[in-house]
Parts: sequence; C-alpha cells; structure tokens
Amino acid sequence: MRDIVFWLSGAALAFLVTAGAFLFLANLATAPSEKRLNPDQARGESGQAVDLILDRELLASLRSRRDQSLDLVVENEGTKQLSDVNVTLRVFSENTALSDSRYYRQTVEKIPASGAARVRFEFDLPAREDPVARPPTANPELSREILEIRATMPDGNSAVRTVILPL
Amino acid sequence: MVAAVFVAGCAHADKEVSIAPLVPAAGRVDPGLGPATRAFSSGPGYKGSPSWSPGGDRIAFTVDDYVVDRPTDSEDLRRSTTRDFIAEDTEWISEDTLMILGAASPSGTQETPSSLYRARADEDSLEPEKVEKEVSAIGPGRGGLIFAFGRGTLESGLALTRGSGDVRRLYSKSIKGRVASLSLSPDGDEAVLAVRPPGDLETSVLHVFDLRKGEGREITRLDGNQEILGTPQWMGKYLYFVAGEKNMRVDRDGSEPPYEIYRVPEEGGAPEPAPGVGEDFVAASIRVSPDGERLAVIGRLNPNSPTNLYVLDPLAKDLTAVTMNEDMEIKTGPDDLAWSPGGESVAVIARGTPSTEPEVRAAPADRLLRDFYNLYEIPVAGPEDAPR
Repeated sequence: MRDIVFWLSGAALAFLVTAGAFLFLANLATAPSEKRLNPDQARGESGQAVDLILDRELLASLRSRRDQSLDLVVENEGTKQLSDVNVTLRVFSENTALSDSRYYRQTVEKIPASGAARVRFEFDLPAREDPVARPPTANPELSREILEIRATMPDGNSAVRTVILPL
Repeated sequence: MVAAVFVAGCAHADKEVSIAPLVPAAGRVDPGLGPATRAFSSGPGYKGSPSWSPGGDRIAFTVDDYVVDRPTDSEDLRRSTTRDFIAEDTEWISEDTLMILGAASPSGTQETPSSLYRARADEDSLEPEKVEKEVSAIGPGRGGLIFAFGRGTLESGLALTRGSGDVRRLYSKSIKGRVASLSLSPDGDEAVLAVRPPGDLETSVLHVFDLRKGEGREITRLDGNQEILGTPQWMGKYLYFVAGEKNMRVDRDGSEPPYEIYRVPEEGGAPEPAPGVGEDFVAASIRVSPDGERLAVIGRLNPNSPTNLYVLDPLAKDLTAVTMNEDMEIKTGPDDLAWSPGGESVAVIARGTPSTEPEVRAAPADRLLRDFYNLYEIPVAGPEDAPR
C-alpha cells in the first residue's frame, strides 16, 4: 500500500513539474497583444501612477475611413482609488500644414487601486489629400496619421502614447 | 462620438514591454548619426532647406513647405510664413533678414510661379514682403543675395540685393534658358549657374557669370539625357556638380552609378569625375565649406549601401565618412544640407526607416525624433583634424 501511495505521489509531482515547465516556456514564447509601455507613466506626489495600455492588433486594424474605434486600458498602478481621470485622443496628420486636429475626450470616474478602466473612442480617420498642387521640391510622400492619447490625473500628472499609423 | 466607458476592474495586461524614453530634442542625441549629433527640430513635419544665419546663431528651414527659424541654442521656434506658403529655398542675408524663394497662398491646382520674399526677424508678420516675381533660383551673395528671374519664356536675368534685401544691381545681359540653381565663386566676383536651355527638359548647361563685367559664358553642356542635380559649387579653380542620367533607376543592373560628382575647370572643358570619390559612389547633393577647401557630400558608397554624410578633400583625394549610419534615411534633396558659417558642422535632415506596422511611442508627438524627418547638426572635423 505504501508503495502505491509513493508511486502515485511521485507521478503527480512529476506531472505538476512538467506542466509547470511547459506553462513557463509557453509564457516565454507568446508575445502579448496588449503591451504596457510604461517609461513615462504619470506618478503624482502621493505615489499614484496611471498607465496606458494599447492593443497593437487593434491599432493595426485601423483604416483611413469613417467610424473607427480604439479600445484602450487606463491602469491605476497606485494603492489608492483614482477619480476623474481625463482621457483625450487627438487625431491629426503628419503634415503640419494641415491644421485640422480632432480632439475626443472621456472622463473615467473611478479606477480602483491596482485596477484598470477600459475606454473606447470612436472617431473618423479620413484619407487625406494634398490641399494644393505641389512643386517638385515638396514632400513626395503621402502623410501618415497620428493618434496622441493622454490620460491625465486630477493633480495634472499624465501618461501619453503616440501612435503613428502606417500608410 | 464617444461611445462608452466601462470599468473593467482588475484587468491586467500581460508582460511589460518598455520603450526607452526619448532624450529632449535640445540636447545631444544619437539618432544613428553619431554621438555628438544635435537635433534642431523634433516632431512631425517634412523639413527641408536648412540655412544658417551669418553669425550661426539661428537656423531657418522649411516644414511642410512653410518657413520657420530658431536659435541654435534654444527651442524657441518662430514661423515666418503662413502654413499654406510653399517655400523652395531660404537664405539669410543678414542676422535679421531672411530671403525666401516660394509662393504665397497658392490657389486652385495651378502651380504658382515662385517669387522672392523678405522676412525680417524683428517683425511678427507671417506675410513676408514680395521683392521680385518669377524668381527661379537664389544663393547667398557678398553682402546680400544673388537671384535669377525669368525674362520672358526663354531667358533669365540675374540681380544682386543689398543686406537689406533691396535690389542693388540688375544685370541687363540675359542668359538663354532657365536658371535652375546658382552659387558664387570663392571671391564672390562670379557666379556658377545650372541652366536648362530653351526647349530642353533637363538642366544640362553650366554657365559662369562675371558679376563685375555683367557677362556670362557657357562652361560645359552635358550630352544626351544627362542632367545637373542641385546647385553647382565653386571650389578653387574648379566647378563641382552632381550629374547623371535623368530618371535612371537606382537599382538598375549595370556598373555605372546613376549620379556622380563631376568637376570642370573654371575656364571650361570636359567634365571629369571628382578626384577621391570611388567609382561606385552615388552622389545626391554637395555643398562647399565656408573655407572653400572641402565639399560636404550626401550620398552612398555604392548603390546598395546606406546614405551618409561625407566630406571630400579634392586636393588630398580623400573622401571621409562623417556619419556611419546604417538605419537612418538621410534626406537627399539638393538643398537639404548646409554648412555652419564657421565650418564646424553640417546640418542634414534624416529620419528612421518608417515601419509598415503602427508605431507606439511613450512621448508626445512633438518630442519624437526618429519617426519623422528632422534637422540635425553633425560636427565635422576640420582639415587639420582629419586622419591622413
């Protein structure tokens, strides 16, 4: 009887170790879709911090047409609940001669400590045309679109991400 | 347009991936162009045509065709034109006067002929004053500016301005064809002109115009489909220029590079390849140094190598690489490089290779460097510092 228990325990332990090793390896090999880009996360005097998390696959699916949507996560990395976090999206062209930036804003009322809030922006991403006939010295390339996302805490600290969309 | 906000509680993302924070644009940066490189601009916008003020305290350049300038030691950017201005070139003629070749407020789809404008640093106006219409080329002159303008459809004229920008001398003798670019001789008494002859599609003739006598002469004429690219440069007893066959594909099969640096004696003759430049070198643009002894060159060692900044010393037959960049695209427009007045550095425009995937950066757009064409100051060793 003791031998059976011994062998069953050994087999279970070996299974757990092997499964753990496979899980570890799988975690190493899988690139997460949502990436936290945190070098400049906002951290107020109270130690509260906010971060922005974007999904690269969603960004890659954006197209130059109307009714595009962008989901993002605002994460509270502090130990206290955050209130009234302003999240803004600015959509503009790489061509600075075009002055038609569009702004979108939302306010997240509460984000629990170590929690996150998911925010969705719906916006237009129109294809742009050069406004004038260009001489040969001017930019021969079409301009890219830029999304600038900023999460601002009530104390003024903010986290920002700039997304440059390819043509 | 806002659709919904909902709190997701403890929704944590997976693994953290950090992007290194960017160095502020005012400081020394290493965007792939060398550790001593300094950025003069940041953020979006297609920059071009840098021009240093005579004292080197300010630098002007175009952004998406409008004109800005800034001190070289601060980021206080100043705009000189409205954003719909289309500038081709800028030249300082004094510490407070910037001359602009371009067209204001184009309308419709017709190309507006360029004019010469004057912008004064002590004025806040975004509408520079028009000095002359139908101007085709400008260049710094002795105590002012030299510019070429159209005389009818087949001829061009030359004129000089004072340091204030007012026309000082108008030359009566015409040049057959359209002057595409020009620059002065080292003593400032003559000008070398790249000219497109009447009826031709290519800029294929090199002229020299004596500013004392008011007379010009043809120096050389390129054969076939060859064209002169950019502004010819006068160095010593030779005229240097970039030329090649128009519309030739860079990556075509064959051993001859598309554009080469040539030189021709100032008294005229057949062009020859500039000494010190390898046979495979692909040239894009050149500028003579303020001391008249070196040539800044943007080009590639061969058609498959990256674009870099080089300095050519024709007397020593030496081409020195100033940058050894592998992953930046240095802009190759004919006016996209400029020596500082003291000859210690060269301003170029470059960006990182654009991605085909969305790029996410942890900084505001106006602080980004590599993602957009930006203006950089690259220190250049003097002739006495160069390795022999």
